[in-house]
Amino acid sequence: MNRALLRISLACLAMFVLLLLNINYVQAFEASKLAGKPGNIRVFDQQFTYQRGAIIAAGDPKEVTIAESRLIKGTDVYQRYYPAGKVYAPVTGYDTIYSKSGIEQAENGLLAGTSPQLAVHNLTALLTGKQKQGATVDLTVSPAAQTAAYNALTSDGGHAAAVVAIQPSTGAILALASYPTFNPNDLTTFDGTTLNKVDQRLLTERSQPLLNRAIQETYPPGSSFKIVTSSAAFSTGLVKNTSTLVNAPEPLRLPNGNNLINDGGELCGDGHPPIIQAFYMSCNTAFGELGIKLKGQVLRQYSSRYGMNQPLSIPLPVVPSVVPEGVGVTDPSLTAFTAIGQYNDEVTPLQEAMLAATVANHGTLMYPYLVQQVLGPGLAVIQRTNTRVLSRAVSPTVASDLQSMMYQVTHNPGGTAFATAGPQATGGITIDGKTGTAQNGLRNGNLDDAVFTCFVPGSGGQPSPIAVGVIVQGGGFGADAAAPIAVKVIKAYLGAHS
Amino acid sequence: MTFPADIEQPVPMPRSRRGAELLMLGFALAVVLFAYAAVGLGLKGKLPPGLPTLVLVFAALMLAAHLAVRRFAPYADPLLLPLAGLLNGLGLVMIYRLAESGRNGNPGLQVADMSASATSTQLLFTAVGILAMVAVLLLISEARVLQRYTYTLGAVGLVLLAIPAMLPASHSVVNGAKVWIILGGGLSVEPGEFARLALAVFFAGYLVAKRDALALAGRRVLGIDLPRARDLGPVLLAWAASLLILIFETDIGTSALFFGMFIVMLYIATQRTSWLLLGVLLFLGGSWLTALMFPHVMERFTIWLHPFQGSNPYGIAFQPVQALEGMAFGGLFGTGLGQGQPYHTPLVQSDFIFSAFGEELGLVGVMALLLVFGLLVQRGLRAALAVKDPFSKLLVGGLSFVLALQVFVIVGGVSGLIPLTGVTTPFLSQGGSSLVASWILVGILIRVSNSARKPAPQPIQDEGMTQVVRAA
Repeated sequence: MNRALLRISLACLAMFVLLLLNINYVQAFEASKLAGKPGNIRVFDQQFTYQRGAIIAAGDPKEVTIAESRLIKGTDVYQRYYPAGKVYAPVTGYDTIYSKSGIEQAENGLLAGTSPQLAVHNLTALLTGKQKQGATVDLTVSPAAQTAAYNALTSDGGHAAAVVAIQPSTGAILALASYPTFNPNDLTTFDGTTLNKVDQRLLTERSQPLLNRAIQETYPPGSSFKIVTSSAAFSTGLVKNTSTLVNAPEPLRLPNGNNLINDGGELCGDGHPPIIQAFYMSCNTAFGELGIKLKGQVLRQYSSRYGMNQPLSIPLPVVPSVVPEGVGVTDPSLTAFTAIGQYNDEVTPLQEAMLAATVANHGTLMYPYLVQQVLGPGLAVIQRTNTRVLSRAVSPTVASDLQSMMYQVTHNPGGTAFATAGPQATGGITIDGKTGTAQNGLRNGNLDDAVFTCFVPGSGGQPSPIAVGVIVQGGGFGADAAAPIAVKVIKAYLGAHS
Repeated sequence: MTFPADIEQPVPMPRSRRGAELLMLGFALAVVLFAYAAVGLGLKGKLPPGLPTLVLVFAALMLAAHLAVRRFAPYADPLLLPLAGLLNGLGLVMIYRLAESGRNGNPGLQVADMSASATSTQLLFTAVGILAMVAVLLLISEARVLQRYTYTLGAVGLVLLAIPAMLPASHSVVNGAKVWIILGGGLSVEPGEFARLALAVFFAGYLVAKRDALALAGRRVLGIDLPRARDLGPVLLAWAASLLILIFETDIGTSALFFGMFIVMLYIATQRTSWLLLGVLLFLGGSWLTALMFPHVMERFTIWLHPFQGSNPYGIAFQPVQALEGMAFGGLFGTGLGQGQPYHTPLVQSDFIFSAFGEELGLVGVMALLLVFGLLVQRGLRAALAVKDPFSKLLVGGLSFVLALQVFVIVGGVSGLIPLTGVTTPFLSQGGSSLVASWILVGILIRVSNSARKPAPQPIQDEGMTQVVRAA
């Protein structure tokens, strides 16, 4: 019987080995994942008993702390505090006793100190009897640009709007503002009843202050989409260069018998202008016809090259900007509207900034990101974001053609943004851009959305410092409502970096 | 003819190792003492008020057990008693820690269904358990005398098993499991714990008598020796009994333990892999069938596979999710005794006590606990290997295996390795039946290990040239 007994002994050994492996899995490997489960009572109870890491806006020479945990006097409990509350709310998000948003949520593991990357540090803290501490998150956000963006949006007469500024050569996000917004300090209370009241108010308010319009809401791009249509036309060889003449009838008769007209029914040049003129005057019929010739699928393909039709993580989740599949790209009559940023085209303000940033960076689109680096409690760098290419959208030659056309928008007296973003308006700063005035269907009644995408071109061998995208919901003309906001952000950023 | 020079020397006696046992017991007591002190320091920052009483009473009980072993089983394995004592002591410490939670100005929430006197009650059960173990040593001089009571104990076991199923729910159901006999006055017994021991004796006696028939007769099909149909009878009976327990007493764990014990003893007796295979297939088939037929069995599988899905963490999977999150919260080194939040897990004092250890002692602590259990099982199996009498071999082999299986079923269930079934954690869980039955089991292990290590009888007087023939 001993042979069988030995085998049974092996079976017992196997059972114990399985148990040992499994508890190692639960208590070591899965521990941080289990700690992050929603409704984890233990983590909830202790999350305020140690110092959560700070969030820093580190995009300027002078860094600014935008979120930190402070010890409440006479207790051993820490409370979150946002020194500039509303200004950075779309970036930081909130940190309530029940839930989080923004960077507070996206980087929670590191801020709370539960991330495996901090395991060694936590172990040292445990052994030396020091208190556990979260990591500090340095953002790419420029305090100057962000503050200017927030001020420009709040003084704009109450329109819902959003601005995003990007450094074209890296993809670093310099500003990300949304209006109306909320004060995250209102949500840091430990009192569940008060919190529920504030939460209810924010959720039911018609202006939707919790909505991050910069990355969570999409709008029709309007004429700013002509950047994409032009890219397709140049890249496919349909249009040779900026002086190639294009057909711009008034009106353009569509295959289904309807008409596409220019803004105000004006004739575009002599009806056969060079493409550069059609671009700076923003003629709809010229680009509508180019779209029909290019075909909808090609337009969609080029929109993808500009980062559209895919979700992004910056690391906040970004809703995809889209040229949807369907009749908008298969029916030539509707493709004409798709080509001028209407019909079903939808973009986020971030996507607007990405359009200009791609042109500014010689046709290469960098993946946008918010987190520069993460510092451990000993201020050692434990994580650094590497810049990466999201897409090589167009060749440097095509990008250079696009830049010439965007230059004319602000520098030719006939350009749509000459008055609001031209040399006189900027005090000598060169801004290349493209306006958009988008009909928003049912959403705004008769009010159009104002769109502006622009960048400051690189000079003297330096790369372009900044690209900005602005959308003002119901703002009217893009040049009038959106361009001045972009100019303010650019001026503030360049001022802080001169 | 020449004789070796030392033939006139007395035969050397094997060492009894009782001194080693006492030393190990001292270690176990020290661990328990420090753990108990740590609970008080962790909860309130000072030593617990009952420290001298609890530690002295527990030490006195262990010393009494040691003296009994010294007197009645002097050659017993010296590790069995210290290992069991350590587990029992740590169980007492954790029960004290849980009972104090939210009481007497201590932090935390009160644990439901746990009275303030839980610790002293458990200490009383410890005394009863030690007494039962001493009684086993005193009454049973050799394990094989139990063979005489094969069928009596078989009948006793079946009756004990069946009683809760016969009783009305008000006298048999605690926390949804119909496995109790509620006697009133706060006293209740879980007869399954004792039935398991009685049936182990029955299986051992039956199999020793029938093993040749079971092992040799049969046909070979597809390379597997199949037993004869008439020999299958008892196997099917055991299978049916375990299924009946499953259905009428809603107790999957106990049913698995019974069936596992029977199949393994059958395998040890016959050495036929076919029996093992057949048994595993029967069990898996039976579980699958019952899962299809009974929603509460199916629910266990759902909880196991999808504890975090949808509203499960706040509903049917609340308890296992709390246990998992507690263990994860403990991490590598634990929060320290008295400093975690094990009170969030319902029934943490019984089925889930292992998760409380995981939370407060960490991965390091529960690995040590598992090793203690593993060592206890190993010492049992070693005794089974060494003992010559086939009945003792079978009995102790089966009991050691079922101890390992019980730890596997409950710890695996609590830590999410297998579906959760409610069996107690031997020596650790709150409750008298399990503790007393565990001590009886240790008594049997001690008795058999004594038989295994005992030297052959010495000649009573000098028999001159008569040679002592040692059967080795």
